[in-house]
Amino acid sequence: MEQGVNLERLWGPLAKICSECDYADGPDCNPQKCFISFAKTVIDYSRTKGVTEIPGIHKLIPPQDLKPYYKDLVSEGLAITCQECRQCRENHSPDCVVALVRTSLEGTVLPEHLDYPGSVLVYLAKVKELDPELAEFIAAKMAKK
Amino acid sequence: MSQAVFKQRNGLMAVVLVTDCGLITPEKLKLLGEMTDEFAIKTFKLTTRQTIIALLPEEQVGAFTKAAEERGFKIGYFKEAVRNVKACSGSSDLCPRALGEALPLGIKLQEKFFGRELKHDFKIAVAGCHRGCTDPYCADFGVIARGNNLFDIYIGGRGGSRKPVHGVRIAEKVREDGIEEILAFILNTYNELAEPGERLCLTIERVGLEKFIPEEIIKKYKEQGEIIDQDFLKLLQGGK
Repeated sequence: MEQGVNLERLWGPLAKICSECDYADGPDCNPQKCFISFAKTVIDYSRTKGVTEIPGIHKLIPPQDLKPYYKDLVSEGLAITCQECRQCRENHSPDCVVALVRTSLEGTVLPEHLDYPGSVLVYLAKVKELDPELAEFIAAKMAKK
Repeated sequence: MSQAVFKQRNGLMAVVLVTDCGLITPEKLKLLGEMTDEFAIKTFKLTTRQTIIALLPEEQVGAFTKAAEERGFKIGYFKEAVRNVKACSGSSDLCPRALGEALPLGIKLQEKFFGRELKHDFKIAVAGCHRGCTDPYCADFGVIARGNNLFDIYIGGRGGSRKPVHGVRIAEKVREDGIEEILAFILNTYNELAEPGERLCLTIERVGLEKFIPEEIIKKYKEQGEIIDQDFLKLLQGGK
């Protein structure tokens, strides 16, 4: 993946989700249990180490996180991951920082795991198949930026 | 091979003291302080190669170098030999940005290869991440940590020159335990193929890079299986 991912942009919606979370700073506010906390840990690590890919880490995304999340807030984060995506297509790596944040966010609202196709357009079509409302939110947020 | 002792414009002599890739213990620092009066050292100068230059009167040089060696300091080499190794503070104890144990690796390479005679001086640089604070891209042999105890290797760089040359990557993600073997191969091949006084980059230009790529050794040490970033894992589990 190319360099130049804007980590601060990715961080913004995550911080917003946390600021509205009743569980923030409680025992469930833990990167091993919470998708958002995991995504923030990924960004922190990427910022410190200056890497955009963290080998093998997609396997460490928490298996589940039953806290309630709002599609509106989550879609903002997903829209930014679409904008930060370098559309690597066949070179897409699930361990890319953008992919890790996106997969973590998807886990909060989507009923099943989505294999990222390496292209934003194809991705939105796949989200639409699973959750048309979420796809609409993402598209609207992307249009706004 | 010559010891790095040089006359300066002001008449003082500069004696180059080699450190462990820039690491110096308080005990050694104290020893240096003690030697300051003993040998009339006027001043010290830190170098870009992570050595310390002691500036002292010419008549003190012999006694000083002998005392320094007795107290555990190595005197630098220059001209046709492997120079002291440069390494950043990349390690699990120091730089938080490090992706690997660059500092211990640098010290290990220095212990093994420092002073080995060659056709020209040969500079080695080890960096704990791709930022390359020790200029591994401009070293004869540059090593860059890639995480998970894996390293990239560049050869044929030349810094400190009016015509700097970037090295070429010859190996990607090889395990730490293979680096010594790869370096030994490069040094042997270089000594075999180089003209006297010819720097590695020029030998590569003349005979071709492929002669310097140890395919079999690289294959032996190249990481094959799936890996999980161990530093991230520690962070996730609340470690440092």
